[in-house]
Amino acid sequence: MTCRERTSQLVECARGHASPDRELRSHISSCDNCRERWEAERQLTAHLSGIRVRMAAAKSPAECRAALMQEFSRRHRRKSAPSWVWSLAAAAAIVMALFIGHEAGARSRHTTSPAVRTRSVSTRDGVVYEVSTDPAVLSDDFVEIPYTPPLATGEMVTMIHTEMYPEALASMGVDVDPTWAEHIPVDLAVGQDGLTHAVRISYNQQ
Amino acid sequence: MRPVPIEASDEDLYRLMRNGNPDAFAQLYERRAPALHRFALHMTGNPAISEEISHEVFIQLMGPTSHFDETRGSLESFLYGIARNLIRVFRRQGPVAEPVETSFNPDLLGELIGNETSQMLHRTLRDLPERYRDVIVLCELEERSYEDVATILGCPIGTVRSRLHRARALLSAKLKRLHTASEVISA
Repeated sequence: MTCRERTSQLVECARGHASPDRELRSHISSCDNCRERWEAERQLTAHLSGIRVRMAAAKSPAECRAALMQEFSRRHRRKSAPSWVWSLAAAAAIVMALFIGHEAGARSRHTTSPAVRTRSVSTRDGVVYEVSTDPAVLSDDFVEIPYTPPLATGEMVTMIHTEMYPEALASMGVDVDPTWAEHIPVDLAVGQDGLTHAVRISYNQQ
Repeated sequence: MRPVPIEASDEDLYRLMRNGNPDAFAQLYERRAPALHRFALHMTGNPAISEEISHEVFIQLMGPTSHFDETRGSLESFLYGIARNLIRVFRRQGPVAEPVETSFNPDLLGELIGNETSQMLHRTLRDLPERYRDVIVLCELEERSYEDVATILGCPIGTVRSRLHRARALLSAKLKRLHTASEVISA
């Protein structure tokens, strides 16, 4: 066995604080280089052991741990936030969908005037018009009032016969001369919400 | 929240902490932080930086970019890998090796390091190339087995052993030269 091979044994013995076996001891006693190395390794092990024992006390301050735990909690809260965000987003999407649906329905209702979508129904109290989608039974002489919400399908309307100033009628979109001096007889279609939704000039009443 | 079993492996704790379990994170920290802190302290010689490194290791572990894959190695190895990378970054940024004996608390560190020869040895250790410093710190100062160190460093056991022997020879030689120089000065 060469000195180089024995050096490996020396190192392991020194590291483990073990005594070399007989053959190695014999070699150490007869080889100056290996003896010197053996002493150096033993001293090194002793110094390293001293450092290890003393440095075992070194540790991060408690504040580091507290700061990390705080950071962990903060990140976890933030990490769980997406579920809230998704919930809110889902709710917002539903609301938006309802709104869009409502608006789309409103636009479709706007495209056909109440005059087109109503038909007369006789009752004991007078003439009541029912909103219908059947164009065959609808009259087309009503003008939708632009600043009131549209009638819903199936909503009942009550016809009120009255007179109005031409200027007011013109503001409702009825094609009349606003400077006309006399009142004009009209039929107002009043919805179940109590609002006037459409108007027509009631020539028959004149 | 699921309770954390005491015998849970590092990898179990990691999975639990990724699911937001603070107890698992605390247990993992208690288990691994002290050795990581000492490792960084031995490698840099600077208590403030070693604190920062051990802190940053766990910050990275809990971060969204943490990509620990247990099929590629142990969590401990992963943590040491982060620490070693951070140490490299700190060393590239400048001289981090403000002497451990004077940078923090001279009295405390004097007590920690011990006698003059040990202090000198600690300084010498920091001057070693990284591959030798790693094995000295892990095998000798942290008393980890060759197998553990091989896992942590991701190299064969034989490499760990040969590096350690070489590192010890370098340390011995440097110590010898320092002793000789001090003897000449005192004479």
